[in-house]
Amino acid sequence: MVVLTIVFSLMLRVNIPNFAAWLLIGLLIWRFFQVGTTQSLSSIIGNQSLVSKVYVSRYVIVLANNLANSIGSALEFLVLLPLLVVLGINLTPYALLLPLILFLEFLLIFGLSLSLSSLNLKYRDFYQLWEIAMQLGFFLSPIVYDGSFIPSRYQFVYSLNPVTRLIELARDILLGRRLPTTFENIVILLGIGLLLVIGIVIFRSLEPKFAEEL
Amino acid sequence: MPVIAVDSVWKQFRIPHERRSTVVDHLGGVLSMLDGRRYSFEEFWALKNVTFRLGHGESLGVVGPNGSGKSTLLKIIARIMKPDRGVVNTEGALASVLELGIGFHGDLTVKENALVYGVIMGLRRSEMKKRTDVILDFAGLTKFQDARLRHLSSGMQVRLAFSIAIQTEADIFLVDEALAVGDIEFQQKCLEKFREFKKQGKSIVLVSHDMELIRGFCEKSLYLLNGETRAFGASQESINRYLEDMKTLTAT
Repeated sequence: MVVLTIVFSLMLRVNIPNFAAWLLIGLLIWRFFQVGTTQSLSSIIGNQSLVSKVYVSRYVIVLANNLANSIGSALEFLVLLPLLVVLGINLTPYALLLPLILFLEFLLIFGLSLSLSSLNLKYRDFYQLWEIAMQLGFFLSPIVYDGSFIPSRYQFVYSLNPVTRLIELARDILLGRRLPTTFENIVILLGIGLLLVIGIVIFRSLEPKFAEEL
Repeated sequence: MPVIAVDSVWKQFRIPHERRSTVVDHLGGVLSMLDGRRYSFEEFWALKNVTFRLGHGESLGVVGPNGSGKSTLLKIIARIMKPDRGVVNTEGALASVLELGIGFHGDLTVKENALVYGVIMGLRRSEMKKRTDVILDFAGLTKFQDARLRHLSSGMQVRLAFSIAIQTEADIFLVDEALAVGDIEFQQKCLEKFREFKKQGKSIVLVSHDMELIRGFCEKSLYLLNGETRAFGASQESINRYLEDMKTLTAT
């Protein structure tokens, strides 16, 4: 991450004010998402005996995995705030909304984790596929470049990526630029809600066979 | 009122002819299906129409050769697996001791592990905290309560796990070969505890190959062979039937 920050802030001198801070926010939001979902893939497979030898709610196993990873990310964000001050950002009261955004991201991760962890049981190469998806996702999200570079006719498709929205939200509130509009809030809530519902549906339908597939 | 009611339970496992466990495999499978080949698998019925009932304070022994469906039956009662046909109803809290030491972590202390394991077995954290002392005393490990778990011998670890399972105060205990742990003294202690449970009206299902144990402890027994009920009734009869079957099997 340090390498990425240096490389992109030195080599790609774009005209974004406070580029280092801007980049860090994007990277941390992305890392939370990437680490959370990738680790959750093995939450069911990695806890064989919890699934096949005793009855524990399987949702809890995935949730516990997500929570454990969230602690790491929460600490990263705790470090980020003073760092932003050092980088010369004047934090506005908007910054208080950060926990809310992280909570939204957590819901997004949980929804996806439910799908991923149960599908990984049936399709054991899901882990590899998801890693490739994450590499693509890194460049399909406005982490190292500004989303406004994307031609306007692709903007709609581009903004469907929920991580894109989260990154932009976090930048808006932390860099004190503006508050998200109601419309943007509704769109992202709908998106995350939908993924959560899909996750629960997939998880519920595959769960009865968990003990056998292991 | 039966505490455990198992009604004509069937359980099927599929043994696929080709391994298909990745997305890539499945894509290949779809292509070969276009060729007219079908996804084929062998059906294996692990349980065929098993029915029994168990009341308060009764204990059931489950006997039969390896692969006859004993553990599958326990897993279905414990809700770990779902039957393909039939219904299982249980009443009250259930403690399954299919494997000991689930969730144990070597780097945590004995006390901490007791807490984690108790929660996995379905107890509240606050309740578990109250009971840790009793558990450690029962396991004879009070002296080691702050030692790291991986520094304990494997026998001691199993003893700890079993002590916690026993202290969960469930109404139904599902025990799979777990009694064959620990030294003679500890086994006696466990048996005594189980007798006490029976007097309190708790029910126990015990899977074991130790016929003496089952004869002495369970009034009822279920003898499974290839997933079918060969005998269900008084332990003496079921066991005799089993032993006879095995005799004819080895004679031929």
